[in-house]
Amino acid sequence: MLIRRLVLLNLLFFVILGCGSSERMERNYAQRCLGCHGGSGKGDGPVSASLPTPVPDFRETVQRRSVTQIRNIITQGRGIMPAYGPALSGAEIQDMVFVVRVLSQRDRSLEWWEKFEPLVWAHCSVPWEIVFGYDEPGEEKAPDA
Amino acid sequence: MNQERKKHLMPRASIQFRLLRLLSVVLLGVQGQAISHDLPSGKEGQRRQLRLPIEDFSLTDQTGAPFRFHTLRGKVVVLTFMYTTCPDVCPLLTANMRRVQENLTPSERKAVYFLSITTDPEVDSPNVLGSYGERHNVDFTNWSFLTGDEKSLQSVWKVFGVKVERKARGLVNHTTLTALIDQKSMMRFGYSGAAPDPKTILQDVRSLLR
Repeated sequence: MLIRRLVLLNLLFFVILGCGSSERMERNYAQRCLGCHGGSGKGDGPVSASLPTPVPDFRETVQRRSVTQIRNIITQGRGIMPAYGPALSGAEIQDMVFVVRVLSQRDRSLEWWEKFEPLVWAHCSVPWEIVFGYDEPGEEKAPDA
Repeated sequence: MNQERKKHLMPRASIQFRLLRLLSVVLLGVQGQAISHDLPSGKEGQRRQLRLPIEDFSLTDQTGAPFRFHTLRGKVVVLTFMYTTCPDVCPLLTANMRRVQENLTPSERKAVYFLSITTDPEVDSPNVLGSYGERHNVDFTNWSFLTGDEKSLQSVWKVFGVKVERKARGLVNHTTLTALIDQKSMMRFGYSGAAPDPKTILQDVRSLLR
């Protein structure tokens, strides 16, 4: 019963959010995020060393934030991180949220993404907040990117 | 790039960065100048001295008000090209200009003006530029972010030899250039590369103020 619910929720999430293709998600991340955040979200991208402030390891910060908060950071920018809201569609922003959430899991990277693409789809399309019903994180801390 | 980083970069991304580097080489060949949009290599890039008269141009600032370049006659102008959704070099350029702005004395601030001109008018509306400036904590009293229609901007890019190539919405390859212009609207220094040294720029600004 639970599995059926999960599958239905999964499908519903696909339909509602109009998820982009896995390749598009990966490409968007590579083009717009990888330079600073790196292939695994550690903050070790090729540009990171030249930045005036260190790039935070988002694998930790993403765990503390809700999907809405992550989406807001990507849309509105934070510190010197660009605001992608004016440039990308809602679906593309949502794609980025998914990528960031996948990479925030232990031992995940874009390399892993390519190997286990179907798993990525399955994982990132599940609304884990709804399934487990955990609370929205409280007040956000000071800008860290 | 170390082995660990290489491991995390997927092949497509590597190809993209190589293409970006290749493009910079092409630009170098075309312009005969070391001005290119490339990923920062940790080097400061090149500093060139020149005397290039800059003609007047009209664009729109971050408040939506018209902006004429020649209203800045009598001031030293630090000018750069950027776009707000740039994922690599533009944040560095803006951060470096901000460092120069911060290090000016109050009297120097009155004699120096900063201009950031977009290379992506499709996305960079006045509002978007204003928010970008706020996120970078710039002091708008002597700093304007400029946009305009494609045609007006193209003529400005051309004056400075800046090549702009749209890759996708919000993703643009462009020549990396920071220019220092004297009180008579003559470009005197050009800094290429992702991170021109703010100390060098500040020294050159002071040399023009003397």
